[in-house]
Amino acid sequence: MDREELKKQIYTLIEQAQGKKKYKQMDVIKHFRNLGVPDSETKEAIRELVDGGKLIYTYMGGSYIELASKLEKFEKDIFK
Amino acid sequence: MTKKYDTPLLDELEKGPFPSFVTEMKKAAAKNPMAADELGLLEKSFRDKVTYWKHGGIVGVRGYGGGVIGRYCELADQFPGVAHFHTVRINQPAGLFYTSEAIRFICDVWDRYGSGLTNFHGSTGDIILLGTITDNLEPLATIFSLNGFDLGGSGSAMRTPSCCVGPARCEWAMIDTLDITYDLTQEFQDELHRPSFPYKFKIKTVGCPVDCNAAIARADLSIIGTWKGPIEIDQDRVRDYAKKGVNIQEEIVNLCPGKCITWDGNNLKIDDSDCLHCMHCITKLSGALKPTPPFGATILIGSKAPFVIGATLSWVIFPFMEMKPPYQEIKDFIRKATEWWSEYGKNRERIGELILRLGMREFLETVGLKPTPEMVKEPRRDPFWFWKEGDLEGKPWESWLK
Ligand code: HEM
Ligand code: HEM
Ligand code: SF4
Ligand code: SF4
Repeated sequence: MDREELKKQIYTLIEQAQGKKKYKQMDVIKHFRNLGVPDSETKEAIRELVDGGKLIYTYMGGSYIELASKLEKFEKDIFK
Repeated sequence: MTKKYDTPLLDELEKGPFPSFVTEMKKAAAKNPMAADELGLLEKSFRDKVTYWKHGGIVGVRGYGGGVIGRYCELADQFPGVAHFHTVRINQPAGLFYTSEAIRFICDVWDRYGSGLTNFHGSTGDIILLGTITDNLEPLATIFSLNGFDLGGSGSAMRTPSCCVGPARCEWAMIDTLDITYDLTQEFQDELHRPSFPYKFKIKTVGCPVDCNAAIARADLSIIGTWKGPIEIDQDRVRDYAKKGVNIQEEIVNLCPGKCITWDGNNLKIDDSDCLHCMHCITKLSGALKPTPPFGATILIGSKAPFVIGATLSWVIFPFMEMKPPYQEIKDFIRKATEWWSEYGKNRERIGELILRLGMREFLETVGLKPTPEMVKEPRRDPFWFWKEGDLEGKPWESWLK
């Protein structure tokens, strides 16, 4: 799978899981390993998505990968 | 700034003989609105017996998954100064050496971009900067990194490695704890900043078994300096200790866990083959006894505070490892061990807990180690190796029985 396609699929995976399942980095790697993608490529694609600001690492008991837009929403809800 | 809140409950904590964090917070509050609101919030928390913090482990610096611990206040409208109150962890220098200029720099930056409240150092070892807002995180990380500092670890990641002061000041250091810590920190930058483990992973390095950093109790990987040569004895100085009132028989011989010291009132003898390398005699008769090379480290795995299971101490994996740059053997071991743990560990399961769950035998096979008698942790905690026929052909016991 080419890098851009992989990134798109990772993003979609996280996006569709929102509110249902939280993915740790290793869960994402294992998911794509089952589709035949080498671990190192998934890891690199996650790195690019995080460095590009589309995904972020969050912490709730353990560390997860989530959509960056979650932060904005979270902070908006603080003042009410 | 005039006083913003009355704090009768906190004021109580300024009474008595000890230095008070309240006094320090008041000093910060006098010039920093975030610190002032934090003081007010704390008073309210004490009064209501409720903590008003939301857990918000969401913020971070771009490209970093750790180093910032998000905190938001539940009473943001009442205490707007602490609506955001994120903690920033900065990787401490190995051995905690600073110039006063460096400390001033850190404090000045923090007065400007945060609450001014700090904690030198947190239990992990990092410099802890308490309280800033999300918008300040990127500039802070940039300023620190331009000046030679970096964020530390947090979350399910490698945590900032830490060490004892080692050869910089201590005569007992048998390995260069500072260099090892710096080198491992550089080597594992990715693991530090991009949390991809099941849970935290701490490395602590100490120069000798006195273990001034409590590596054996606080680190998933404990690197403890040790020696292989005989303990060198200066008999005159031993006699000197005896003359000055040290009861050699009671305090040294009888307390030696290896039961390998004898004292005839004039000469001290140690049977080094039975020495357990605990350092007791050496520290008690400082200057009279001295460990001799070869020097290296005992590597242990798995200690942690109570969580999924109770507190555990580390378990010996390598009785002796040479610790010379570039430290390839320990680096390879860390990679193999953490890969295995990432693959099989459950969420929030430390590596020591995974070893207990799946068995030391499986762990040893994964990292390619043979069991040795030193790995027996305590009665009924041994590696439970199941020998295969091929293993026995080499008659491994012969070398241990010598
Ligand atoms: C109510 C009866 C018994 C109970 C509850 C019991 C329980 C146990 C337990 C829990 C252990 C494991 C201890 C450990 O691993 O720390 C053990 C070990 C053992 N038991 Fe029993 N046992 C009983 C009767 C017997 C009897 C009748 C015999 C022999 C005739 C026996 C022989 C042994 C032996 C040889 C071991 C292994 C000791 C070792 O490895 O050092 N047990 N028993
Ligand atoms: C078909 C018969 C038996 C089977 C399949 C069997 C199987 C086992 C197994 C799998 C263990 C655990 C070994 C381990 O954890 O390393 C065990 C332990 C033990 N068995 Fe048996 N066993 C049998 C008969 C017996 C008999 C007849 C006795 C005693 C008269 C006995 C005494 C023990 C004892 C004392 C232990 C505990 C050893 C320890 O944990 O230190 N077993 N057995
Ligand atoms: S652990 Fe040993 S080497 Fe390190 S400071 Fe303490 S006594 Fe010295
Ligand atoms: S180091 Fe410990 S075990 Fe070794 S001789 Fe001294 S007291 Fe005994």
